Amino acid sequence: MEATLFVPVGLGLTVIGAGLGIGKFAAAAAEGIARQPEAADKITGAVNLPLFLLEGVAILAEVFTFLMLIL
Amino acid sequence: MSAVEAGHASQSVMEQVGPNIIHHVSNSDISHPLFHIPPLFGIDFSVTKHVLMLWIVALLVGVAVIIPIRKFLSSNRATPSGWMNALEAIVQFIRDSIVKPNVGPKWVMTWTPLVLTFFFFILFANGIGMIPIFDVLGAFNRFVLGVPASDSNNMINHILHGGVTATANFNVTGALATITFFSIMAAGTMAHGFINHWKNLVPHGLAWPVYIILIPIELMGLFVKPFALTMRLAANMTGGHIALLALLSLMAIFGEMFHSTIAGVGVAFVSIPISVAISALEIIVVLVQAYVFTLLTAVFVGMAINVHH
Repeated sequence: MEATLFVPVGLGLTVIGAGLGIGKFAAAAAEGIARQPEAADKITGAVNLPLFLLEGVAILAEVFTFLMLIL
Repeated sequence: MSAVEAGHASQSVMEQVGPNIIHHVSNSDISHPLFHIPPLFGIDFSVTKHVLMLWIVALLVGVAVIIPIRKFLSSNRATPSGWMNALEAIVQFIRDSIVKPNVGPKWVMTWTPLVLTFFFFILFANGIGMIPIFDVLGAFNRFVLGVPASDSNNMINHILHGGVTATANFNVTGALATITFFSIMAAGTMAHGFINHWKNLVPHGLAWPVYIILIPIELMGLFVKPFALTMRLAANMTGGHIALLALLSLMAIFGEMFHSTIAGVGVAFVSIPISVAISALEIIVVLVQAYVFTLLTAVFVGMAINVHH
């Protein structure tokens, strides 16, 4: 079995991980805003940064998958 | 989709689709640059498509942002109006919620210009990729002016090669991340002194065995952070365009698979609405990626200035 057979599986696993992480983040943010609506702006501001770092992880996985498939 | 693709009529559509998509997102061929410039100091400075787009974006930022701001500052009006009003809102937003919370009130005026430059440049460079000027120009060239796609001496056919989004090229985003890399060192040096900046990489007061692991990790982190900045922006821009082009290529693929144009046109009823939705998502991604690059630059600079482990 060729090694590139499992590359898409790895990508799928990484995307599942990123999706779960971002989902937990969004859930925690929504709950925080529900408990204290006045802090909505601050919570959104605090959530932004880790959200995009996590998204960056998923995108990095996509880039390396692409590289593995072409090279 | 591009005037060049119809020239290779001998290949099947399935064979042409992959290379066509790659050509649409990558730079023009280095061996056939747009304008050839003889090598200076052994480096080939020939102008490729992405270099041309960088210049166009710089010109646009100058005309749309720098000139109105300078005109407003030299006039004696108290409040701005119209486009200047929007610019002021954006500048204020960046200074107050991106730069000031991260960098601290002492260094705001030092680092806001750099962060603003990053934001506007990346925003315009990403946004230009969503405007299909060159495709319209190619269609105009082929169907109105009647120049065949295989005519490679024609100037307009020549500048069609390559993708429009300069920030989809990891070299461009790598250059921007290099500026961030040196800004972090400059910020730490200005705030704490050259040696203290490097001593601040690791927290003080830990047992000495911990440092053996911690110092290599922090040194790797020094390089991984700009690398992640590079790949995040480049991959986001490339991925969006590849998805869009693949969806639009579905029409040609179905047309060839069933050997009828009606099949291709029928798929258009599915392909084009989905492409519109993905383009809307792309516009959001354009804004968000400019914001994220700017935010992360401000955060890293702030981490070098306010060291708190």
